[in-house]
Amino acid sequence: MLTYLAGRIASAVPIVLLVAIFIFSLVNLTPGDPAVLLAGDNATPAQVEVIRERLHLDQPLPTRFVVWAGNALRLDLGESIYSNQPVTKLIAQRLEPTFVLAIATLILTVVIAVPLGVIAAWKVNTWIDRGIMAFAVLSFSVPVFVIGYLLAYVFAVQLKWLPVQGYVPLADGILATLRSVALPAMALALVFAALIARVTRASMLEVLSENHIRTARAKGLSTRRILVIHALKNAGVPVITVIGIGFATLIGGVVVTESVFNIPGIGRLTVDAITRRDYPVVQGVILFFSVLLILINIAVDMSYALFDPRVKG
Amino acid sequence: MRMRSLISAAVTTALLLGSSATAHALEVLKLRVNGDVNTMDPIATTNFTIRNVAYLVYDTLFALDSNYQVQPQMAEGYTLSDDQLTYTITLRDGLKFHDGAPVTAADAVASLQRWGKVDGLGKILFSKTESLAAKDEKTLVLKMTEPWGQVLPALGKISSNVPVIMPARLAAQDPGDPVKEIIGSGPYRMVVDEWVPGSVAVYEKFEDYVPRAEPANMAAGGKVAYFDRVEAHYIPDPAQAADALVNGEIDWVEDVGADMMPVIEESTTAKVLISPQAGNSLQLVVNHLNPPFDNPKIREALQWSLEQAPFMQAIYGDRTDLYQLCAAVFFCGSPFESEVNTDRIVRRDLDKAKALLAEAGYDGTPVLLLHVTENPFHDRAYSVLKPMLEEAGFVVDEQMTDWATVSTRRTSKEPGDKGGWNVFFTGWGFVDQSNPMTNVYVAGQGLNGWYGWADSAELRDLRVKFAATSDLAEQKRLAEDMQRVAYDLVPFVPLGQASIAQGVATNLEGFIDSPVPFFWNVRRKH
Repeated sequence: MLTYLAGRIASAVPIVLLVAIFIFSLVNLTPGDPAVLLAGDNATPAQVEVIRERLHLDQPLPTRFVVWAGNALRLDLGESIYSNQPVTKLIAQRLEPTFVLAIATLILTVVIAVPLGVIAAWKVNTWIDRGIMAFAVLSFSVPVFVIGYLLAYVFAVQLKWLPVQGYVPLADGILATLRSVALPAMALALVFAALIARVTRASMLEVLSENHIRTARAKGLSTRRILVIHALKNAGVPVITVIGIGFATLIGGVVVTESVFNIPGIGRLTVDAITRRDYPVVQGVILFFSVLLILINIAVDMSYALFDPRVKG
Repeated sequence: MRMRSLISAAVTTALLLGSSATAHALEVLKLRVNGDVNTMDPIATTNFTIRNVAYLVYDTLFALDSNYQVQPQMAEGYTLSDDQLTYTITLRDGLKFHDGAPVTAADAVASLQRWGKVDGLGKILFSKTESLAAKDEKTLVLKMTEPWGQVLPALGKISSNVPVIMPARLAAQDPGDPVKEIIGSGPYRMVVDEWVPGSVAVYEKFEDYVPRAEPANMAAGGKVAYFDRVEAHYIPDPAQAADALVNGEIDWVEDVGADMMPVIEESTTAKVLISPQAGNSLQLVVNHLNPPFDNPKIREALQWSLEQAPFMQAIYGDRTDLYQLCAAVFFCGSPFESEVNTDRIVRRDLDKAKALLAEAGYDGTPVLLLHVTENPFHDRAYSVLKPMLEEAGFVVDEQMTDWATVSTRRTSKEPGDKGGWNVFFTGWGFVDQSNPMTNVYVAGQGLNGWYGWADSAELRDLRVKFAATSDLAEQKRLAEDMQRVAYDLVPFVPLGQASIAQGVATNLEGFIDSPVPFFWNVRRKH
């Protein structure tokens, strides 16, 4: 198991390096000069030139990459061109909202999707199944920002139950925090739940047609016991894979959702940094997401062992 | 079933508790500023958002009142020697920085020197300064090389860069490099630990601030802080900002926008304040280096090709209370408003434009339009501009792009196919534009000037004459001359002047009408 883990981590290193080179080139080749944006609309060309020199933007690209990569290894991602704050600090400030939103979404998703998938499989080809699948196709097909704006319109603007925008930190009380992430988490969970409900249904259907389920039925076990203990556990591996892979989708969704609901998380940080050509922040955030995704993939692989004794590495 | 009702009860309780937990015991003012507070140094940037929040933290020696007269603010007063060369300025008692240190004349000297290295007016001031020094703890002495009527207007400058006072040790920093510590002597101090760039900047009442005794009068007078805490939130989406204002999540929106005004006007919790002084404008900047606009006749053809109304209607719709058609270089409603040489601005004459193009031998060199799509105002303006130019006979090459790209390309003096440009939209505010000393379009500085690089020795000469006199009638005459020369030169085409519609929570009072939004004197009605 440990060798397997070590091997997986080692194989991740070149991926991270490739990602780093790719991101660095892409970001720096995008047209737009951060010095000009930083100087403001009404700056003089001389003021812009001073800023460009201060930021070392006049140096060649490879030199800048080597310096950046070397510092990144020491967990120093540089300083934001835009706010002069360390990138690691900017990311750290934004972790809480993003993780609270992601975890709330994940919990909401599993709570909605897994029972729906199980019920759809159990009542396969009835109107319940079709209803659930229609719901799944619909919510997966509607872009997350549309759902987001619709939810905000109904629950915040019209009913005034929840805030339109913003995030309340955990330090100000967990209930206020949950209130502030309720709408964005619901918007994201709907999209994500659609995917997971469909996979759960497909996986359950496969398991339900197997012999051991027929045996369990023949033994006279209750439907609930058959579904949850005998079928769902065996259907678990694909579902977990999809939740893991879906986390990547979730991060993409977080970027959009944070913008829709004005949540100061890493997604908003990314979008703002791109529009401002804040190179160090864009590079830092994407590197952070890449490492996070690789770690999640490793964790998903490891979790198979819990569900499938054949996977021991 | 019982389980379900238990859950719904729990959720309801949680939501209710959540809503009461967000109510603070402290008096908090929540602002939606136009941009993000990414730095707190109003000397290192001309960005108006930074200028606005910097007024919370920093104080100035002099300040403009609502009659645009300069009044002492941190200064107790000043004396001017008989030869009009030596200004002796005394600081008032009780001034303190946020780190507890007293404000000294040496701090003021260092701060003014740093400002004088970057600000346009500051640079001219220092080019005419023989010496600026602290005579003692509370007195600074400014000696000029020649009498200059703009000394106090420069020191009391209300817009970027504002000559703010900070401790001398911080003012030693290069002006292009933002200061690392945020310490001023204004009515609020910044809470650096709670600052999340891209989201929120937080300020706390500075208990040791001593306001002047006079009532608040624009930037002058007593700056009384009625809130314990001021939060400047960055909410990029204007629709969301308007909803948040109506919902009571925030108290003030800097610029509501014509589209969202009905939402606020229909609510009982918020209202719209139209502020002409905080006005903005739409201006088409013309690059004099590249064809076709390197030819004066073709620039004149451009003036006859355009008229203001379609642009303003495209941007503001039927909200005629938000804009006015104005051809004056120094804005309508300012002391230097004039109608001299504005025929070509007010009227659109396609025959004349076509005749000028023919006379100039226009060879169909395309006008490169870098159409900015993400700024809704500019997006609409570019959509109006293209057909207007084509009707007059210009060939237009339109490329869709974003503001980041345009703001970079406009610095390029190269031809269009090598990363340069022909025209772009911008908008200067009322204060900067109404003053002939800060209006970039009458500077005539050519390659050393602002983007567009219009060159005119006559304009440069008029500006020197303007700065030398403090006689208003003479200044008006010079400003009129500047307008006449500028419209022959065509550094830009004015396309309308607009007011800003602020959104304000109805339970607030005491807002100061000013080109810069101020948050002292504002209080909540109870």
